[in-house]
Amino acid sequence: MRLFALNYARPAEQLEVSAAYTYDSALQLNVLSDGSVAAHDYGVLREAGATTSTAGSKTHFDD
Amino acid sequence: MTVLILTCEQDVTADMVVARLNAIGVPVLRLDPADLPGGVALSGEYVHGGFRGHLSAGGRLVSTSGLRSVWVRRPGVPGSRAVRPSAWLSEESAQALYGILRGTGARWMNHPDAAARARHKPWQLRLAQHAGLPVPATLITTFPQAARDFAERFPDLVVKTVSGTHPQDPPEAVPTSRVAPGTDFASVAFGPTLLQRRIAKRADIRLTAVGDRLLAARKPVAADAGPDEVDVRFTRAGTSWEPVDVPVRTAEAVHTYLRRARLAYGAFDFAEDADGIWWFLECNQSGQFGFVEIDTGQPIARTIAAWLARETQGNGRSAEHEGVAGV
Repeated sequence: MRLFALNYARPAEQLEVSAAYTYDSALQLNVLSDGSVAAHDYGVLREAGATTSTAGSKTHFDD
Repeated sequence: MTVLILTCEQDVTADMVVARLNAIGVPVLRLDPADLPGGVALSGEYVHGGFRGHLSAGGRLVSTSGLRSVWVRRPGVPGSRAVRPSAWLSEESAQALYGILRGTGARWMNHPDAAARARHKPWQLRLAQHAGLPVPATLITTFPQAARDFAERFPDLVVKTVSGTHPQDPPEAVPTSRVAPGTDFASVAFGPTLLQRRIAKRADIRLTAVGDRLLAARKPVAADAGPDEVDVRFTRAGTSWEPVDVPVRTAEAVHTYLRRARLAYGAFDFAEDADGIWWFLECNQSGQFGFVEIDTGQPIARTIAAWLARETQGNGRSAEHEGVAGV
């Protein structure tokens, strides 16, 4: 009874667990622990995988 | 005039655009519809033929008449973080928020109607064909015999989801995957299945379209990659994305696609074959772009910010693929 496409499924990665930034509602931006803007630190973004094409798969249609 | 951004707090890709808008002095109101009601509040008054509306979030208050554009990025389900969430509250909240926004003259990236239609993969494939883009032979079926017949005609196949979503109970990822010869297609009867002729690709192409601007990036298939490594999202790290020029005919076809789809933004995925032909795979109307910008240095966030920052002209009904404004 398993759907055909699910024969090719694999466990989903939990990408958001280790995010190194938090949202600052005053700035309307995510910031690092030192207060700098996370989006300016490509190293952090790469490590978090939050801008990649699978980042939104859990909750959104479009990657 | 303010740019309204509908997205979740964790969306650091949106941050890249917010930072650009801040840099050029354009006011931004960022909110997640999931926080309506609660952290987000709204009001719309229809009296004596007039309309006045307001939105507030994070201590900011904006008149709906002061919105120049709306960027629908990664919004949560309206009402889903309310104290007592329910499907009914979500529907009420969605109708109120998006209904009020539809009555403004703001430009949309992308309008909800265009976005909803553009998510349908079969519709995408047909539109791409009509626009002049090469599309691999594709079958969507629940008939096992149709799948067998298709596999006889096109022995080298991949399977992918129809919707682009992934199952959540339990959470699983369903990458585009190669179908081995001799596969039993009986379980196709249990759910719609999308089979597509595999393109023997030498590179993946991600073309990000922002209004009239096309920014394409190319990622060569690694020299040691096997034929079963189909889905670039799930392959091993190796090669990186590099900027690439868009062939003239492809550019014309993409512009046609965007115009007919009434999209202001689209992230197109192509497979480049050995002859250099770009085969259309899909167009994600809200596809991620941060990973491309980080690799290539292409100014995607800046281009989106510039599009959003443009002032509304006339009654706000913008032309063709600049997004649908108004009702």
